[in-house]
Amino acid sequence: MKEKKKKNAIWKNCLVTTAIFAIAAGFCFLLQRVASTDTHVPLIFVLAVLFISRYTEGYVYGIVASLLAVIGVNFVFTYPYFKFDFTITGYPLTFLAMLAVAISISALTTQIKKQEQIKLEIEKEKMRGNLLRAVSHDIRTPLTSIVGSASAVIDNYDVLPDDKRLELTKDIKEEAQWLIRIVENLLSVTRINESSANISTNLEVVEEIADSAVQKFLKRFPDAEVKVNIPDEVLLVPMDGILIEQVIVNLLENSVLHGETNDITVNITNDEQAVFFAVEDNGRGIRPDVLPCMFEGGMHTGESGGPDTRRNMGIGLSVCFSIVKAHKGNMEAENRKEGGARVRFSLPLQKEQNYGN
Amino acid sequence: MEIRDRILVIEDDKSIRNFLRAALEANHYDVMMANTGSEAYSLITSQCPDLVILDLGLPDMDGMKILKNVREWSSMPIVVVSARSHEKDKVAALDMGADDYITKPFGTSELLARIRTAIRHTRTVAATPGLGQSGTFVSGSFVIDYDKHRVFVEGKDANLTQNEFKIVALLGKYAGRVMTYDYIMKEIWGPNMKNDNQILRVNMANIRRKIEKNPAQPKYIFTEAGVGYRMVEAD
Repeated sequence: MKEKKKKNAIWKNCLVTTAIFAIAAGFCFLLQRVASTDTHVPLIFVLAVLFISRYTEGYVYGIVASLLAVIGVNFVFTYPYFKFDFTITGYPLTFLAMLAVAISISALTTQIKKQEQIKLEIEKEKMRGNLLRAVSHDIRTPLTSIVGSASAVIDNYDVLPDDKRLELTKDIKEEAQWLIRIVENLLSVTRINESSANISTNLEVVEEIADSAVQKFLKRFPDAEVKVNIPDEVLLVPMDGILIEQVIVNLLENSVLHGETNDITVNITNDEQAVFFAVEDNGRGIRPDVLPCMFEGGMHTGESGGPDTRRNMGIGLSVCFSIVKAHKGNMEAENRKEGGARVRFSLPLQKEQNYGN
Repeated sequence: MEIRDRILVIEDDKSIRNFLRAALEANHYDVMMANTGSEAYSLITSQCPDLVILDLGLPDMDGMKILKNVREWSSMPIVVVSARSHEKDKVAALDMGADDYITKPFGTSELLARIRTAIRHTRTVAATPGLGQSGTFVSGSFVIDYDKHRVFVEGKDANLTQNEFKIVALLGKYAGRVMTYDYIMKEIWGPNMKNDNQILRVNMANIRRKIEKNPAQPKYIFTEAGVGYRMVEAD
């Protein structure tokens, strides 16, 4: 598999090299008819070498191309035509200079490409760091509460009235469940990273995924009422079922925790290219100042203060967003005219198709 | 004195053992504990518990090994507890003969429900070996008539096709238990239909459209994502 890929890359690079040379040669032949001198020829080939180094991988192609260019130009395009002649005054020097220029250009462009890659890595690392920071912040709060409540119960066991003890233990349970949610989201992220950018998809029946998500959600919020509407036809969609389930669970939880409502509808619709999941509620809606940046992770809401920032919703949503993106789908949020929020995401029906951006 | 069901808990984490013991004893079970795989194996062979709760990640051996060993000579109910959330492990455990699985973290009520189902199911199957092949299965207004090969919902024939009925009948036979995709595929379509469970999924979607009011919120046949299907228990 890997060897095949390597072979393909070599083929591609060779093809690029030949194509650019062909264009350069054709151009020279054309100019030869019009122009009276040969001085443009080396310049055009230096340009060709630059393009080759830019559009192939590694140093090799650029350097080989520059050597070929030196020989080719001497042989074909300069007097005496179709003969090597390094004896003409100044010629050896001209071509040595051209070789040096070509080699340094190809080396430079390759270096720039490598630097760009490093920059991208750093960017990724930064994102991961941000996520980690946001998560540790989110984890610290429930942990503090668990340790605090537990030691309060232990230290004052005989003094505390029964209902107080029960209340504290209930708090412990609730906080622990919150931790479970965070950890599950983190596991989802590692599941995406496991196989780099690509996730492994299977054909899943959408209603089964929606149902198991709702079941999972109802286990934690037994008071909530969720209605699921599905299209009549049986839809098989390529996806990582566990991850999409996680997305739906997160959206449902947001409706309860942040929309503060127990009345939620999941509408599933489809057109030829994609299937759309919309989670709608009649709750408080989404704050307009959060709306534009709500998928970008917990960094924005973390420091701003306010009563509901302790329970940071950024992580769940940014996980949702990256899961949907990894499926080449789209995600958007809005406030409904009737009140409440609607978060909608799409999954392409075909594996290869690139839906949206 | 009442006779209590004896449960063997195989688990290496102390705090989980503690809370399991508390929860199980509070619900009138006799509880035995095993730290390691070898200890568990000697307890299983000497005490013959009514049910085993088995953690797959043990310090001295893989829980799967115990499962395999026990299944060679006994069909005692085994509920597997696993921290691995990957579906592959659950499927492997179920195919190896586990009666049910539960994923960490779990609540006690969920665990107790699984225990009751597993114990009851082993007893009914042991008492009536041919169960599911004749008679009827009733859960609310949902009825499987094994003799007539028909499924009725609220008194009306659901008009299932032959294969659809076979699937429903199979799930009904093991109601309350998870049936893996692979197992159902082999039972209905034979051993040669490997690895592609799409045909089963489509059949199930069609069955749901015939028997459920809202196929996206089924009341009779539940989905265990990535693992298989489970039918609601009989009344």
